[in-house]
Amino acid sequence: MTVPVLAQVVEVPSNVNHLFDWPAVLPFGINRVVLLMFLATLATFLFLYLPVRTPRVVPSKMGVVVETLVNFVRNGIARDTIGPESAKYEWLLIPMFFWLLFLNLFEITPLIHFPVTSRMAIPALLAGLVWVTFVFVGLKKHGLSYIKHSLIPPGVPKALLVLVIPIELLSTFLIRPISLAVRLFANMIAGHIMLAVFFLTTASYFVFEPKVVAFAIPLAFAIVITAFEIFVAVLQAFIFTLLTAVYIESSINVEH
Amino acid sequence: MAPDLLILAAEEEKSGLFLILPDVSELIWGAVSFVVIVFLVWKFAMPALDRALGDRQAAVVSQLEEAEDAKGAAERLRDDYQRRLDEGVQRADQIMESARSDAESLRQEIIDRAEAEAVQITERARAEAESERARVLEEARQEITSLSLDIAEKVVGTRIDASGHQELVERYIRELERETAE
Repeated sequence: MTVPVLAQVVEVPSNVNHLFDWPAVLPFGINRVVLLMFLATLATFLFLYLPVRTPRVVPSKMGVVVETLVNFVRNGIARDTIGPESAKYEWLLIPMFFWLLFLNLFEITPLIHFPVTSRMAIPALLAGLVWVTFVFVGLKKHGLSYIKHSLIPPGVPKALLVLVIPIELLSTFLIRPISLAVRLFANMIAGHIMLAVFFLTTASYFVFEPKVVAFAIPLAFAIVITAFEIFVAVLQAFIFTLLTAVYIESSINVEH
Repeated sequence: MAPDLLILAAEEEKSGLFLILPDVSELIWGAVSFVVIVFLVWKFAMPALDRALGDRQAAVVSQLEEAEDAKGAAERLRDDYQRRLDEGVQRADQIMESARSDAESLRQEIIDRAEAEAVQITERARAEAESERARVLEEARQEITSLSLDIAEKVVGTRIDASGHQELVERYIRELERETAE
């Protein structure tokens, strides 16, 4: 009896999977997630380009923000981690950081409320790209000895190699990309579920028990979690980019 | 009730594996989007950003250079003025000094000339007085002579030959003068 009333106010999921189930709305398999990818791509580009489009001696406020953030990725992430060769990898790190930032921040963006990175596509895609990149860098720098050095850490007794080589093989070439993808994906999906739970609870109480205390509690949680999720969105974009830089550095200096 | 519905939803969850595995079309479109963002960022955004930074650096450098130039020019101007001022003061000192010495020599000249004039005037006055005295004495002598002759004529009663006795009288007067002088 009460369900239709609620259904008029909030969309009731028949299953928690509904939160992540996006059927195609346009040809070529374009669903809402893909549309949000396009939107994030456009937003990232406009964010990075518009404030600095006209060169000015005294930059605009947004220009300062963009310059500061780009310098942070350039120096704080790339150069501090990789070292003097970092400029060679900026092509990957700079777009990746800002793209992930926008994809993540869609989680709390009004009217969107959906982190594109809570779908496995982009974390998996970027993790795969990172895997290809650090393996390629290692092979290019050291040839096949890259494989040897990354499988055999220095100073390990020969008898233990039987144990160490499979562990290193798994950790470097399998677990690294998977953990990279899953860390991002799981953080974003968890945040999205939390926000959905608290906002749906707020809406339900608002409809069924319109007393201030009843819906104020989940609403307060929802607000606090929204703030927390902003932090998570930024942090996960940062961690993903930082780990990419760390992996590239470990391929460059594989002997250590 | 909504909580019941959520619990129900969780219970009848089908395989959640699709949550973990990437959707193929999203994977493809994601790849396309990433290529696009990498292209856009490196084709437009980064060049614009680097240009802005480069322009700003150039502007700062050129402004510093301009300021340096202006400072140099101002210093040269200041030195120039200082030099001119020093020269002016020096020249004024010279002018004052020469004026003072001119005045001094002029004063000395005037004094000398005045002294010489005074000496001349005194000399002339003395000469004039002397000649006047001599002239008066001569006149007096002649007067006395003629008076003596007149008296003698009256005493003698006859007219003495003036020129004949003139000499006699004058000799007498001279003797008197000598006696008085003695």
